[in-house]
Amino acid sequence: MSEATKQAVRPLVDTAESRRPIGLLFVAIPVFLVIWLVIWPAINAISRTVWRKDKSGEMGFDLSSYAFFFSDSYSLDNLSITLWTTLVCAILLLMICLPIALYLRFSRGRLAAYVQALAIFPMFVPSIILAFAFIRVLGPNGMVDILFNAVDLPKIRTPYLTPWGPVIGLVWDNIPLTVLILLAGLGSVANQSIEAARDVGANAVQVFWHIILPRISNSILVALSFSVLGIFSSFTLPYLLGPASPEMLGPFMQRTLREVQDPVGAMTQAVIAFGFCIVFGLFYVRSVARSREK
Amino acid sequence: MKRRTFVMSAAGAAAGMMIAPRMSFAAKGTIDWYTGSDTNVLDFWANTVKPAFEAANAGIKLNLVDAGDNAGIIAIAERAIAAKQTGTDPQADYFEHSDPLLPAGAIEAGIYVNMAKAGLSNYARVNPLAIQSDYSLPYRGSQVLLAYDKTKLKPADVPKNWADLVAWIKANPGQFVYNRPDKGGSGGNFVRRAIHEANGRDPNAFTVSNYTQEFGDEALGKAWKLLADIAPSLYDKGAYSSGNTQSVQLLSQGVVTMIPVWSDQVLQAIDQGVLPAETGLVQLQDLALCGNFSRAVVLDNGANRDAALKLADFILSEEMQGAILTELGGFPGVSWGHISPELREKFADIIPQSIPTFPGGKWEAAINDGWYRNVAPSIDRKS
Repeated sequence: MSEATKQAVRPLVDTAESRRPIGLLFVAIPVFLVIWLVIWPAINAISRTVWRKDKSGEMGFDLSSYAFFFSDSYSLDNLSITLWTTLVCAILLLMICLPIALYLRFSRGRLAAYVQALAIFPMFVPSIILAFAFIRVLGPNGMVDILFNAVDLPKIRTPYLTPWGPVIGLVWDNIPLTVLILLAGLGSVANQSIEAARDVGANAVQVFWHIILPRISNSILVALSFSVLGIFSSFTLPYLLGPASPEMLGPFMQRTLREVQDPVGAMTQAVIAFGFCIVFGLFYVRSVARSREK
Repeated sequence: MKRRTFVMSAAGAAAGMMIAPRMSFAAKGTIDWYTGSDTNVLDFWANTVKPAFEAANAGIKLNLVDAGDNAGIIAIAERAIAAKQTGTDPQADYFEHSDPLLPAGAIEAGIYVNMAKAGLSNYARVNPLAIQSDYSLPYRGSQVLLAYDKTKLKPADVPKNWADLVAWIKANPGQFVYNRPDKGGSGGNFVRRAIHEANGRDPNAFTVSNYTQEFGDEALGKAWKLLADIAPSLYDKGAYSSGNTQSVQLLSQGVVTMIPVWSDQVLQAIDQGVLPAETGLVQLQDLALCGNFSRAVVLDNGANRDAALKLADFILSEEMQGAILTELGGFPGVSWGHISPELREKFADIIPQSIPTFPGGKWEAAINDGWYRNVAPSIDRKS
């Protein structure tokens, strides 16, 4: 036995009874915060939308605000544009970020460092600045139009104030997080297994499909559920770049609460948004649990 | 000296210094002036009003204090009510902009000066349309106007009433944009102008208390039809910008020819070069777009009540009211007849016949909800 192992009296994972309370204490703080700041307000909101005063002033079980939401075509349009935006953003993010992550995983040198810096850059740009930069560049008579005009090309149909405006902004905003998570996942792909596959004659597509993809499917799921959760409830970009109607749930909730002065309606929208986010969240929890089991 | 006694006496001195200003009485001859408005207003007072007033009134100084926001002003007014009851000095003399109805019972408590009876020599100049209460003094305003690009639209051809405006919008599709009514007052008051138009151009038809579901649906429904009718001719076949600034941006990028704007915002934008000098301004002459005034309040139990009234009189002088137009970009609180002739000529197109207002409360919620449901989505923009 070597010197080092002799000294390591205490194992890394300590299951001794006496040490448990300290571990639980560390966990207690985040658990308490989550209960106080997330779970309690959520339960509160749900109960206040289903258990409230009716016209005669009696407290009672009342699902009318939900019935209104799901029978109101205006609200449903807003819900469907939110789902559409989230879906399109998720697909675009995967299409853009996976090649970047693959490139960064398998290249060395200065150029790769620049690409990585560029891919992480959006993380440091506040979305309100991004929105105004977007208007100046892609907006009507913006920089792109001016450049096109200089070489006698026709004007573009600007995405500003259309559903594509928030999509472009949100995708750009979410690139860093997605790339970082995918890159972390690609770290678990061993060079030896790729070399072994190449040795038996697999081409690039086969290597990707049979070797890389199975190993990073978990990371893809995590990356997507993270960005989808953010996009679903995003506010600034759809507010500044999107159309007046249909609007995404973020601006819709804020407007219902402040401008329409309808707190119950806003809470109902929030609970419905929460419901969708739970579904996305379950994917994340499941994939984390699955990778823990391994 | 022992270290311990030194620390204790130093702490005591520091505590004493913190308490000291609270115990001192307001300096005689220094008007304690408070504002809850934006920085541009404070700058205007610091750079224009204060030097002029102190030069004209030797021995009186002006202490300009930023109270943060309107809630800050109300808090100081509450302190003044308490001071009145104990007969002490409230250390406040002048509110740049406040509502005398706030805090509730302030007028009954007798802390505000009745401006109509205070013997101000310039009180008669105040624009009667702007007076809301005897206890406040309207001294600056801002109103929504139409701004347009003179290179694309000749000043002679500019629409000056609602019917002409609608005809112009339809004849020039894509050249007009207004922002969503809840996201900024310029678009909001354009929508309110449409509501006035649809209901006999009578601003008195709407009051804070007369909203009912039936009346609201009927009155607003007519306005939604008007607005939905012009929607296909707006920018991008019915797109609405998300704020005052974004509308100004579309005008400055030459995307649209005409937008509704706040008077102070557009005058400043032209002054700072955000909008070119070729930007024209016009007000509808059949019924103006809505606006509002900032009203000064003087404290009756302030130590410098008389000096503060001198200041209130001074701010209504022709010189200061002209400066509000040229320096601040606001509207004068006095009638336009009391503005110098050359300024009157320069701003002739934006002088309103009236300054209509629109009540808030339930009307506001109904407008914000109704517009989104009835006007915003009414057309298919994909075609």
